[in-house]
Amino acid sequence: MDLQIALLLSQDGIVNGAIYALLALALVLVFAVTRVIFIPQGEFVAFGALTLAGFQAGKVPGTLWLLIGLGAAIAIVEVVIAMRSGALRRLTSALGWNLGYPAVAAAVVFLGEPVSWPLFVQVVLALAMVVPLGPMVYRLAYQPLLSASVLVLLIVSVAVHLTLVGLGLLFFGAEGSRTPAFSEASFEIGGVVVTGQTLWVVGASAVLIVVLYLFFERSLWGKALRATAINRTGARLMGISSTQAGKLSFVLAAAIGALSGILIAPITTVYYDTGFLIGLKGFVAAIVGGLASYPIAAAGAILVGLLESFSSFWASAFKEVIVFTLIIPVLVWRSLTTRHVEEEE
Amino acid sequence: MSARNWVVAFLALLALGPLVLPEFHITLLNYIGLYALVALGLVLLTGVGGLTSFGQAAFVGIGAYTSAYLTTTEGLPDFVAWVGVSPWLTLPAAILLTVAVAAVLGLLTLRLSGHYLPLGTIAWGMSLYFLFGNVSFLGGHTGVSGIPAISLFGVELKDGRYFYYLIWLMVLAALWATQNLLDSREGRAIRALKGGAVMAEAMGVDTARSKLVIFLIAAAFAAVSGWLYAHLQRFVNPTPFGLHIGIEYLFMAVIGGAGHVWGALLGAGLITILKQWLQDLLPRIFGASGNFEIIVFGLLMIFVLHRARDGLWPVIRRLAPLRGARRKVESAGPLGRRTKPAAGSVVLEVKDAVKKFGGLTANNHMSLSVRAGEILALIGPNGAGKSTLFNLITGVDPPTAGEVHFLGGRVDGLASREIARRGMSRTFQHVRLLATMSVLENVAIGAHLRGGGGVMAAALRLERAEEGRLLAEAARQIERVGLAEHVFDAAGSLALGQQRTVEIARALAADPSLLLLDEPAAGLRYLEKQALAELLGRLRDEGMGILLVEHDMDFVMGLADRVVVMEFGEKIAEGLPEEVQGNPDVIEAYLGGVD
Amino acid sequence: MKLKPLAAGLIAAFATTQALADITVGVTVSATGPAASLGIPEKNTFALMPTTIGGQKVNYIVLDDASDTTTAVKNVRKMITEDKVDVIVGSTITPNSLAMIDVAAEAETPMISMAASARIVDPANPKVKWVFKTPQNDVQMSTAIVESMLSNKVQTVAFIGFADAYGEGWYNEFSKIAELRKLKIVANERYNRNDTSVTGQILKILAAKPDAVLVAGAGTPAALPQKALNEKGYKGAYYQTHGVANMDFMRVCGKDCEGTLLPAGPVLVAGQLPDSNPIKKVALDYTSKYEAAHGKGTTSTFGAHAWDAGMLLQSAVPVALKKAQPGTKEFRAALRDALEGLKNVTVSHGVVNMSPQDHLGFDQRARVMVKIENGGWKLQQ
Repeated sequence: MDLQIALLLSQDGIVNGAIYALLALALVLVFAVTRVIFIPQGEFVAFGALTLAGFQAGKVPGTLWLLIGLGAAIAIVEVVIAMRSGALRRLTSALGWNLGYPAVAAAVVFLGEPVSWPLFVQVVLALAMVVPLGPMVYRLAYQPLLSASVLVLLIVSVAVHLTLVGLGLLFFGAEGSRTPAFSEASFEIGGVVVTGQTLWVVGASAVLIVVLYLFFERSLWGKALRATAINRTGARLMGISSTQAGKLSFVLAAAIGALSGILIAPITTVYYDTGFLIGLKGFVAAIVGGLASYPIAAAGAILVGLLESFSSFWASAFKEVIVFTLIIPVLVWRSLTTRHVEEEE
Repeated sequence: MSARNWVVAFLALLALGPLVLPEFHITLLNYIGLYALVALGLVLLTGVGGLTSFGQAAFVGIGAYTSAYLTTTEGLPDFVAWVGVSPWLTLPAAILLTVAVAAVLGLLTLRLSGHYLPLGTIAWGMSLYFLFGNVSFLGGHTGVSGIPAISLFGVELKDGRYFYYLIWLMVLAALWATQNLLDSREGRAIRALKGGAVMAEAMGVDTARSKLVIFLIAAAFAAVSGWLYAHLQRFVNPTPFGLHIGIEYLFMAVIGGAGHVWGALLGAGLITILKQWLQDLLPRIFGASGNFEIIVFGLLMIFVLHRARDGLWPVIRRLAPLRGARRKVESAGPLGRRTKPAAGSVVLEVKDAVKKFGGLTANNHMSLSVRAGEILALIGPNGAGKSTLFNLITGVDPPTAGEVHFLGGRVDGLASREIARRGMSRTFQHVRLLATMSVLENVAIGAHLRGGGGVMAAALRLERAEEGRLLAEAARQIERVGLAEHVFDAAGSLALGQQRTVEIARALAADPSLLLLDEPAAGLRYLEKQALAELLGRLRDEGMGILLVEHDMDFVMGLADRVVVMEFGEKIAEGLPEEVQGNPDVIEAYLGGVD
Repeated sequence: MKLKPLAAGLIAAFATTQALADITVGVTVSATGPAASLGIPEKNTFALMPTTIGGQKVNYIVLDDASDTTTAVKNVRKMITEDKVDVIVGSTITPNSLAMIDVAAEAETPMISMAASARIVDPANPKVKWVFKTPQNDVQMSTAIVESMLSNKVQTVAFIGFADAYGEGWYNEFSKIAELRKLKIVANERYNRNDTSVTGQILKILAAKPDAVLVAGAGTPAALPQKALNEKGYKGAYYQTHGVANMDFMRVCGKDCEGTLLPAGPVLVAGQLPDSNPIKKVALDYTSKYEAAHGKGTTSTFGAHAWDAGMLLQSAVPVALKKAQPGTKEFRAALRDALEGLKNVTVSHGVVNMSPQDHLGFDQRARVMVKIENGGWKLQQ
């Protein structure tokens, strides 16, 4: 192995690590606010990429039907709840969002001709199609379980994951897709060719991380989320509703997931079930960060990316064995260096 | 119907099954049995012990591959070849190897706290799965075929109906043993792992050992399931041992009711049958073109968890209320008691103890001593550091500097279960009872160190005599604190004041030489306080040393022999109650800031 | 009008009676899970099959095994004991098929596998008496690749395959034949179907400087290594396996796959076969039926393996019907004998001549070399 190979492997590891880092951030966020270990995070990666690919192939992506279906399901739930409690007044906005938004989305897809639009507009449209699925899933699957134990929420996550993967296969088929690169440029740095798309991935991840940082530090919504993450009861007493914070965290998680998918779709093939392993590695990074620290989670993500890249060079058949075995000592080290307080039941 | 009758009816149905059911139902029941074994391990590990594992499928894999390898490989060296002669010899081999691997993994990963543990189990689960696929002598990804069937008395168990009895015999044995184990001294320690580890350690339980024990038991159950799988399927490849299947086992346990042994059976059965049913029904509704099974399955599971987040077993229990559950503690002989220190001798001596949390000094050069047959009260305003001092004495949080002597030996730096072993027992300011367990069982945890029955003995019910003595002792202590009518109530259903009293009974069940009580009178009504004072007085007369933190001044001043007053982590006064009451510093501490 | 099939389905769900003399074909395919891209076209193909053979009604029971061995075996047990099937078709992948052999053999029910490995019909295993298969053995395809490589003056080759039974089977067979023919394998790499990057493997291959690279993967995932190699400027020859023979692969791989060679069943290039080739008619019949139902360019060679299983039955069932009634043990035995006795049956992938030693029955006509040109498959003479 010479220096050039090492550089290429590092580049590969960092690009993959950047995606894992984004997913890790989303997972940390969702867990901190809602105590949900969001296994379906990976499905948003696949949905984002494949929805965009669908537009480019001139097809109506199945995620539109999911959007309409979930919207209708929420509308029904809200109507039932409103009828029981007699609070019909608040129904208008809930129905407007959950029926109106999907209707508008459907109108855009069917009346417009997304296949002929510029890439950037297609990306925005794909995000508009996938991101609302996040809060919708939260509303239907998690909100009724606000006070359940972490284990129950985890199992619900698994069930949501199974459902979404099944839907993914139904919508997009078993074969994968790619999308055209955002940039065809490539540069040579120190004898190593760097393509424009990899710069996009790393750059976008870095920008997103900074934006999230500013969001949490500066904006009122961000501060509210942080408050909820630190102390749920306290935040509620201060007038920050757990469900609003939960929905917001799912919006962010879905957006991060879908965007990650759109970023990697030009450099790899994305399948309906791509998300699980990517999400799992993001999860590894998130746990290394103790499900609490964003910088350590990001560092963990880069570590996982590098481990993968180098082990696929040394012994490709044993790549996963190596990655997951080496994670154990990291976990032991992290566990010993963080103080654990017994969970009060 | 009583619980026993339900079980008998269940067993009868199970035994008759193969005689009346169609072949494929037997096949399904066989798979349910295999899954139930693994799920049972998870009930013990995750539902009861609070340790979430995604890696059980890998243990099933080790069990299955061990037997597959030994029975199909030719030309093994002589010292192992004899094992491969019969599956009956590979069964212990499969269990031993799995438990050995689990022991290594457990020692490495069980110390992981919080969410590191589940990820740890994912990590080694994935490693083992990919290892199965990449080791050529295990058949690689393609798999090992030609595994022999199990023979019993010369009959090859190729027919599912025969295999059924083998599987269910194993499942029932595992159920019986698990049920027994949980209903024992070791079992109570295991049940305390989830949310009661600090308390359990203070009662002398080695929680790290208990964790490893349930981890190994769960691995052994998985190994048996794997062994059965290998010889039922007679083909082994890596796919049934991957992470997805590991998650599915957890699914079964949680849906069935992770806190109940029967939940494992229910979950395994429900999920297997539901999947089968969906496979039959959905193509007829939606046509054969799509694959809707997994989607509908996922949606149903979400729905079930919304309706029954503790799983379905508790729901079923409520539908079929049990009559005639055990409501009586058998009388049994007394437990051995420790030799008590002579009245008036120093039991506890704290010298210059310092406790710092980061920059905050919670205890600063605290010294005090307690004698046998004396009640020492520790008072002071909120935040004075009284509970910190308690934790420091009992070994929950070791002191930063200074010494603690107990019965003549130094105990600072020792684990709290070690200190408990020497005869110190305590209650907690924030009640630490296991809410769903009965008062009797909660109190019996206090007597943990007075018994010695092991895990095996408990699983096989060989420690019943000792268990009877432990429960009888617990019942005596409950009666002594005046809660006799609540013996079988769930501890969580009691009023807060009564729960504090249960804590005292639990501490007494340890037969201590020194009793540390953290605000025992809080939440008690006047008459209850009087009764408590009377009890503590009697204990003192029997020669016990008592260190008491309390806010209720009337209670303290009427009861204590001496009083130590703390403020800002330091001792500001010590003496007889009436001396302390007149001390200007103490008045200042309590009424300060009013001027 | 979505309600109509729904209502019909509901009615069917409660109407369980069926005539006793029908022939029942039990099918298990991997329509979900990792092998879904192979299993779905197979599943679709069964819907196109004739509903009568030799005047008898045929019922197809198609179950999904989720690419999982346990489920595959459970499906087989169900079909044998509940549905009393006369023959089993499946599964899509090798491990599932291997696991099913014992069950099928013990129930004395013939089984036709749609998976690649020669091990499934290895005559050394007595149980294989009951087992047949339709896809070309990986040995046969490997030989074709090695021959093509040698004729193109390739001396060193790098192998990169799926980290599953498919990649493993290919490496085992390919490496044996390569060694025999003095073709040097300079790298042996693995990757997972849905890996996002194969940079590590590619760098190792590049360092070994092979004359050609063989990618052993199925469907669109097989495009990743080739695209990555192209990006890094690899100039040697590319070989793929017949696993990639569908248009989705072409869509994803695009211009990076121009010039790639692969062995395939003749069905892939049916239109280019000479009219004298009997396979042409049969293969075109299948592709036109499939594309009529699922759209142009949707045929894959995997669906054709299922079709061929159907064709074997169409030839063998009439013979067996003369000996016994469907639904009986005797019929199953007769069907097995009839399958073993098939001679000169033309299917979409070749011409079948079964014998007790050969339960696949293909000869050289069952494989052609195909080159990817202008985004299409070009038959190599």
